[in-house]
Amino acid sequence: MNALLAIPFVVPLLGAALALLLRRHRRVQAGVAVATLAVVVADTALLLAATADGTVLTSQAGDWEAPLGITIVADPLAALLLAVSSVVLLVVQLYAIGQDIGGLSRAMPQVFHPIYLVLTAGVCLSFLAGDLFNLFVGFEIMLTASYALITQAPTRARVRASMIYTVVSLTSSILFLTGIALVYGLTGTVNLADIAVKLGSAPAELRMVLALLFLVVFGIKSAIVPMHFWLPDSYPVAITRISAIFAALLTKVAVYAIIRSQTLLFGRDDISTVLLCVAIATMLVGIFGALVQDDINRLMSFALVSHIGFMIFGLGVNSVAALAGVVIYLVHHIVVQANLFLVNGLIRQYVGHSSLRSMRGLTTVSPVLALYFFLPAMSLAGIPPLSGFVAKVALFQAGVGTGGWLVYTALAAGVVTSLLTLMAIFRVWARGFWGTPMPDMVEARERLKRGSHLGGLKFMAVMTGVMVVFGVAIAVCAGPLSEVAFTAAHGLMNGSAYIEAVLGSDTR
Amino acid sequence: MADLESAYPVPAGRADRPGGPPEDWEAPRERWLSTAVRPAFGPRSVLLEVATRLLTPAILTFSVFLLVSGHDRPGGGFAGGLVASMAYVLRYIAGGRHELAAGIPMQPNRLLALGLLLAGGTASAPLLFGRPVLEVVSYTAVLPLFGKVKFASYLLFESGVFLIVVGLVLSVVAALGARMEAEEYEARERGGAWGPEEGGAA
Repeated sequence: MNALLAIPFVVPLLGAALALLLRRHRRVQAGVAVATLAVVVADTALLLAATADGTVLTSQAGDWEAPLGITIVADPLAALLLAVSSVVLLVVQLYAIGQDIGGLSRAMPQVFHPIYLVLTAGVCLSFLAGDLFNLFVGFEIMLTASYALITQAPTRARVRASMIYTVVSLTSSILFLTGIALVYGLTGTVNLADIAVKLGSAPAELRMVLALLFLVVFGIKSAIVPMHFWLPDSYPVAITRISAIFAALLTKVAVYAIIRSQTLLFGRDDISTVLLCVAIATMLVGIFGALVQDDINRLMSFALVSHIGFMIFGLGVNSVAALAGVVIYLVHHIVVQANLFLVNGLIRQYVGHSSLRSMRGLTTVSPVLALYFFLPAMSLAGIPPLSGFVAKVALFQAGVGTGGWLVYTALAAGVVTSLLTLMAIFRVWARGFWGTPMPDMVEARERLKRGSHLGGLKFMAVMTGVMVVFGVAIAVCAGPLSEVAFTAAHGLMNGSAYIEAVLGSDTR
Repeated sequence: MADLESAYPVPAGRADRPGGPPEDWEAPRERWLSTAVRPAFGPRSVLLEVATRLLTPAILTFSVFLLVSGHDRPGGGFAGGLVASMAYVLRYIAGGRHELAAGIPMQPNRLLALGLLLAGGTASAPLLFGRPVLEVVSYTAVLPLFGKVKFASYLLFESGVFLIVVGLVLSVVAALGARMEAEEYEARERGGAWGPEEGGAA
């Protein structure tokens, strides 16, 4: 049990060290990196199997008693997100290896793999952290690695974008640390379960202030409006495989932290009005931004911001059904975002840029590419029977079940956002995919077919295909997935199982 | 401002000022460091080179003391590593990038990786026995001369942290100091401070 909980963040760190030592041997290094992530995938699958029935697994690092030492906790929510994230991480890594074999990227593979594994460790530690400070450490490991990744293959634009990204992230980290200090001052502990017990007796106003502070901290990192401005400026500029993993995981880790802190630590109902208003703003501002973009990557980044709003909406509705909807949405969104950015990377390989204005007839240039774009894009818009539809139905049903004018307003905003997403995707489709291809695009394809890059490109396409299949599989497995999601949501609404697992049953 | 400039003497050490001392007036005649010295900033200085020579062993010894005493007193691998890397930073400032390269045992990246392996390995070793991560095993022995000495696995972990910190600081020095200095030097060799494209004759 101890090993199961520690492997997701210890093994990637060891793998990163080995990969750094093996910088000169690129094949061995890639092998080590893939093997490391394969171990993590297998381990998280076991974790998910062990927690799917609602069990909460804990491990006390160094064998120190719970409120004093570092606690590692896996509940169904954490295990589910870990399992999905590690699969996405592995697929994106294989895609990156394909890109490197083909010599299709200017990024330095010898430092890419170690940093990528460190990022993996940070993501896993954030999901498994049982205390606020370790959550902070997980975030920092993840963000420090991302600072290095965003400037891979540096250009003027990338350095500029990474400065915005770094400054914004550091600001939120300072606020995070301040919040931890305040919580510690109030309760004398940083253990999440212990805080949950002790905050209950704290004054309601103080609890409200802390809840809002943590909402701002994680809100900056998950790019909810009005703290979203940095994301469309920084993510699209990085090389594609890196923006894919950022878009898929980093914001979702922050959403996970919002869910964890708002459900476990703070009062349940007092903040939901704020959450609903923020959700409406996020959905609408994000999608209106997406509608006017010319660059596909920027368009997808705005769509990403907009769809974070759906998860905040579910949290604001605050019922078991709504939280289950949020969990399904998280899983769906991780896979779909990664997928769309990987496809954008392939488009960039084919066309050489990502500007819609000078792109036409991609369906003729590569029918497979069109299919790869079409499926996740329709899923994002929520067209049945794809996973986005399942997630949205779960959320909207929960909203209708709760009622209230604000919830209905948010629901309306959600429906409008879905339609506008569809419109944004049709814009991409009509401009980039339909029509007769531009002559230089046909030429570029011929060059690619004759060139020596073909093997790497095919491998990248296969990995994108794997991601598409994974996305479709989510819709196919919607039944078991929603069971796990409901178990996770029950655990979130009623924190006692979590608290008992961490502190022992006699403390309550 | 013009009044101020004329009222105070021009700083010494500028070779381009007639009447001032020569650029290398502070340079030592003896050999204090291990390579042909070309300092990172400014002209050579006897004070800096002698101080570096004398302080380096003391700083490194102190860093090991911090590492060992870190269990229940202030110190530990992180503090020790920072102190140890300061010895190398001092050496770089006094003697330039070749002196830094001569002083470090291996590439900073490799140092970092070895430290990470050591720390990660010690942290995860208890997992093999079904124990929680980071668990400490300790053993107390009575040695002649030293008396009671406690050996614990945390020391291995802290040594790993020590190496990580040294490796990281040296990577930063190598990237932001030595490499930029080397590039600037090359540009100067090609002619013009910013290379032939932007400044001066090639």
